[in-house]
Amino acid sequence: MARLSIDDLKKIREDAKRTLTLRSGEARAKVIVHMGTCGISAGAREVMGALLKAIEDRKVTDVIVTTSGCAGLCSREPMATVEIAGQAPVKYADLKPETMVRVLQDHIIGGKIVTDYALASGCETTG
Amino acid sequence: MKTIKLKIDGIETEAEDRTTVLTIAQKLGIKIPTLCHHPLLEPYGVCRICTVEVRLGKRIRMVTACNYPATNGVEVLTNSPRVRRDRKMILEWMMARCGHVKVIEDLAAEYGIIEPRFGRGDDDCILCGLCVRVCSDVVGANVLGFFNRGATREVSTAYGETSEKCIACGACAYVCPTGAIRIENDAALVRQELPLGPLTPIYVPFLQAVPHQPVIDRESCIHFKTGECKVCDKVCEVKAVDHTLEDTIENIDVGAVILATGFKQFDPAAISEYGSGIYPNVLTGLEFEKMNSASGPTGGQIMLKDGEIPKSVGIIHCVGSRDERNNKYCSRVCCMYALKFAHLIKEKTGANVYNFYIDMRCFGKGYEEFYHRLLEEDVRFIRGRAAEITNYPLNEQEAGKLIIRVEDTLIGEVRRVPVDMVILATGLEPVADAAEIARTFNISCGNGFFTERHPKLAPVSTATDGIFIAGTCQGPKDIPDTVAQAGAAASAVQSLISRGEIEVEAATSAVDPERCSGCRICNTLCPLSAISFDEEKKVTVINDVLCKGCGTCAAACPSSAILARHFTDEQLFSEIEGVLYDVRA
Amino acid sequence: MAFRTHVLVCAGTGCVSGNSYATATALENEIFKKGLAQEVQVIRTGCQGFCAEGPIVIVQPDGVFYCGVMAKDAPFVVEEHLVKGRHVKKLMYTPPEEKSPIPALKEIPFFAKQKLVVLRNRGAIDPEKIDDYIAADGYTAIEKALFHMTPDQIISEIKRSGLRGRGGGGFPAGVKWETCRHAAQHRGVEPVVVCNADEGDPGAFMDRSIIESDPHSVIEGMIIGARAIGCKEGFIYIRREYPIARERLLKALEQARDYGLLGTDILGSGMDFDIEIVQGAGAFVCGESTALMASLEGNAGEPRAKYIHTVEYGYKNRPTNLNNVETWANVPLIIHRGAHWFSSMGTGNVAENPWNGSSGTKVFSMVGKINNTGLIEVPMGITLREIIFDIGGGIPSGRQFKAVQTGGPSGGCLPESHLDMPVDFDSLTEAGSMMGSGGMIVMDDQTCMVDIARYFIAFLTEESCGKCTPCREGLRTSLEILDRITQGEGQPSDVDLLQEISEIMQDCCLCALGTSAPNPVLSTLRYFKEEYDAHINNRQCPGGVCKELIEYIIDPEKCDGCHACVRGCAVAAIMGEVKKTHALDKAKCVKCGACIEACKREAIRKIPRSYAA
Repeated sequence: MARLSIDDLKKIREDAKRTLTLRSGEARAKVIVHMGTCGISAGAREVMGALLKAIEDRKVTDVIVTTSGCAGLCSREPMATVEIAGQAPVKYADLKPETMVRVLQDHIIGGKIVTDYALASGCETTG
Repeated sequence: MKTIKLKIDGIETEAEDRTTVLTIAQKLGIKIPTLCHHPLLEPYGVCRICTVEVRLGKRIRMVTACNYPATNGVEVLTNSPRVRRDRKMILEWMMARCGHVKVIEDLAAEYGIIEPRFGRGDDDCILCGLCVRVCSDVVGANVLGFFNRGATREVSTAYGETSEKCIACGACAYVCPTGAIRIENDAALVRQELPLGPLTPIYVPFLQAVPHQPVIDRESCIHFKTGECKVCDKVCEVKAVDHTLEDTIENIDVGAVILATGFKQFDPAAISEYGSGIYPNVLTGLEFEKMNSASGPTGGQIMLKDGEIPKSVGIIHCVGSRDERNNKYCSRVCCMYALKFAHLIKEKTGANVYNFYIDMRCFGKGYEEFYHRLLEEDVRFIRGRAAEITNYPLNEQEAGKLIIRVEDTLIGEVRRVPVDMVILATGLEPVADAAEIARTFNISCGNGFFTERHPKLAPVSTATDGIFIAGTCQGPKDIPDTVAQAGAAASAVQSLISRGEIEVEAATSAVDPERCSGCRICNTLCPLSAISFDEEKKVTVINDVLCKGCGTCAAACPSSAILARHFTDEQLFSEIEGVLYDVRA
Repeated sequence: MAFRTHVLVCAGTGCVSGNSYATATALENEIFKKGLAQEVQVIRTGCQGFCAEGPIVIVQPDGVFYCGVMAKDAPFVVEEHLVKGRHVKKLMYTPPEEKSPIPALKEIPFFAKQKLVVLRNRGAIDPEKIDDYIAADGYTAIEKALFHMTPDQIISEIKRSGLRGRGGGGFPAGVKWETCRHAAQHRGVEPVVVCNADEGDPGAFMDRSIIESDPHSVIEGMIIGARAIGCKEGFIYIRREYPIARERLLKALEQARDYGLLGTDILGSGMDFDIEIVQGAGAFVCGESTALMASLEGNAGEPRAKYIHTVEYGYKNRPTNLNNVETWANVPLIIHRGAHWFSSMGTGNVAENPWNGSSGTKVFSMVGKINNTGLIEVPMGITLREIIFDIGGGIPSGRQFKAVQTGGPSGGCLPESHLDMPVDFDSLTEAGSMMGSGGMIVMDDQTCMVDIARYFIAFLTEESCGKCTPCREGLRTSLEILDRITQGEGQPSDVDLLQEISEIMQDCCLCALGTSAPNPVLSTLRYFKEEYDAHINNRQCPGGVCKELIEYIIDPEKCDGCHACVRGCAVAAIMGEVKKTHALDKAKCVKCGACIEACKREAIRKIPRSYAA
């Protein structure tokens, strides 16, 4: 990667913002698996593995899977946030590989929130 | 540097900014206890016993005096109730670890601790870290370190094993305030207290040394082993220590030389039956002299190897002297120093002293009287040369003792005398390189002692003009004789100097350059090195000042080129003719 | 002068990326044009939580909520709402026809009461992608710091923000930076910045989480700090127990170097700076600044006794500015959004003097007997009650709250009477505890406070480096006393002795860890003295924890002989036939509690031990 100038940095910011907020239309949904130490020790890796495999099996192409840090509520890990374009993000807690697959099937593909595992919708208050 | 004003225990004083409170207090004579502090090491501040109360404005803090930098306007209390309370608790904590260490017990008594509330531990180490720091910061060996943490912290070498890096300098044991460190193998000590060697790596060679300056023993100096230390440098206020100095050879032109090369003590190892070097309590005369010296390793205390005071001492005379196997001559001093030892042992320890002698030779002024005094002091004298010293007991009285086996020639009986200590009155020998010195100075050397020009008429002169001898290099003698001889030698030199000129020998040899073939046979023959070779002219020349006219060269010259003045062939023949005049007639 | 109307424009990450700043500026211009500048104030607020519909604008006190307000809408909104007083229907939020089957995040107190500043990117960006961070306005602050601010301006901004060290001491960061810069200039020695990521408190994981979820914020903060102080070298001292955090940091550093954000001539500004990661071996004491420096230099991690601060003589005797992870992570936002924004959160007025209050937010890790264990970020000044009962969801199993321990092992335990105390540096210290790095352990009525004090003192005894006498021996003797009290062998004089030991440790210990180590004892003595008395005088443990002072009994009324406890008992102390009341052999019982867990009928209880037998 070439060294950046201030203008390059701005350009990266503009480009990256679009993907971060799901506005480019390339993907319809984004799943953020929370992979802090707490999440990983609670089984987040297995959850993500199951999700990736399920996406591959179902040949879904418009879903992005990404990782992030701890969501704060460590006692309810593994957690994942599902963002579907145009809808408030939904946080799922206490996930297992099989429930993650169900979230993919029912919520992301089917459009129906899996209320059994859903914690809440929306995003957190940032300063 | 800024000067600040502060108050210690109500005393107003001034100091340099950021001087430690401890330094200021010490200058004022205020006592603050310290344990982990050492003037040569950086303040460490871990024992916390030097805690003092510091007030700056309204703020009150407890700080350690050893490293707290004083600032303007501070008020220090070194003995407030809070300080005493804190120190008392710290001491109780230390006792919980080391309940039987003297330095802590003394301090505890000072702070009114009768019985510590946390009990008394059995450890010796208060973890002050002095040993660790002296090893790393001063010696530079980095052998000691701390291991574990918290309550299990301890001082140790790496993995608790003997370290190759340890140079056995003993610095750790030296700084340890509690005596928790002991050196296991004394023999390996760098700063070994050899009987005759220096006590420390830096020492004044002897009390009367001129110049009276200390020297560094390269062999035992830590700096020359690790490159660190230089403690001497730090403590020397005038900065006189220079480790970079090298030995130099100086050439000094002089007109006269006095040789006073002294003697060597006879090594009693040659007489194996006396067990010198085998039994630790068999000492040579000089070893005893060193022990007896107030500045010696024991501070003048006469003691056995185990620190006990001897109850009986045997002194064996004529060790290495008047002996067919060793030196046949009498060393002249042993009788008297043996008597002196006997007297001092009696005086200092009250032990029974036995002298084993061949003859008592108390020839000097007052000497015989001294001998009689000792007889009255109940010193035993047994006439007979000791045959053997053994530690093999034959009965209970002899157990644990050294037994001297001797034939008492006065009663004609073989005796076994058990004693705690044996002193060998070792004789005097020429120094090992006496022959070499003699060669260098062109003087002669009899049985290792230098030969004077004339035993009665020129006792301090030698065959070589300008070379004088004094003291035991000429032969065994005691101190008064040595001083007298030294004085005589000095005046002989002085008379040469005051005259400003020297008389040279009139009857010298001379080379006839016309006849000299340049064969150089004579060059090596001259006992006085007076003959040299003129490379330019290719002939031999004789130095008139050095030549004593012995005629050796003249006799040896194959070309008859050397003429012995006043002893020419013609003159000699005439003399012979004159002597034989009557015979011929 | 009071304004009649406030227009709140959301400036959270989501809305800003929807260009809410442009909206705000447009609104301001329009308000000015209409001559309303004296009456209406535009305020940029934190995230309103409805990022999907941003930019969000709320008009108060009318309480009208607009979404998707772009700059071009500004004239219309101002004309219609602010001048004519008519609500702009087309911009108002229309709830979806179908009601969401699950609650909104804002309705859940755990999330609602939090205010994410340091953790703003948690759960939102991929910590291993620098582009994600940049997209979330990352590395905008260094542009400002490198090109538009002098070092003195940066320091003054940090000072005015009132940012105080989040690592425990609460020392104002700006003042520290200034001292470090001056020391370096005065001595002509190159200073160093260090990030303390040696989070050793049991139950604390704030710094780990920050690094794991947003490593670049720490790096950006350090670059700004280095620029302000004048450093070329930086270190992150991270404990070896944090492998994921370290890996992410390594990746982040590599990415930042690739982008030229670290290394020589950063972004063409001429500034050189790089960061090296140093791993600690997991000694608690290495969180102390002088011990950390010693460890950084490769020596044993032990504090040194010096009354000269590391900010003047630190790493290799160079002026060293040490801040912890959370402090550094706050820096970019302060530079980006201004000191005023930061100081508007929290308590006190810090603009003149950073010691005057506690501004900003604080991250806490909340563990123990609490429903929602986890990591939270709250504004300073929030009460303990809000944290524990609203965010934390209270005490599980219907138990009673007894105490909360803040500030890590050398913090203190605060009782229920202190629940309404504001959480800030000075209030906590006054109450005998401390902010520490933000560990918070909640305890219920089944906790024995003497045992808690014993636990923390035991931890500290383990972790004491043992260098100075008061800490090494003081902790050891305290532990001995606490041990005997919890074993029912306490002496009446023990309470006073503990108090005396603690006071002398506060006086005499070498480092801050030592002087704060007696806090668990002092605070429990202060607030829970009756528990000590119960142990010593009555040989009873009110919390039912101390094994020597309790015994287990089986209530014959309740026991139905299900045998579950028999199977659960590892030492075969319970006997009895199925369907008949069981009996417990007190001699065999090790009081592990497995039977209580196993019993479905609450037939097994702990009672004070009877000494008659």
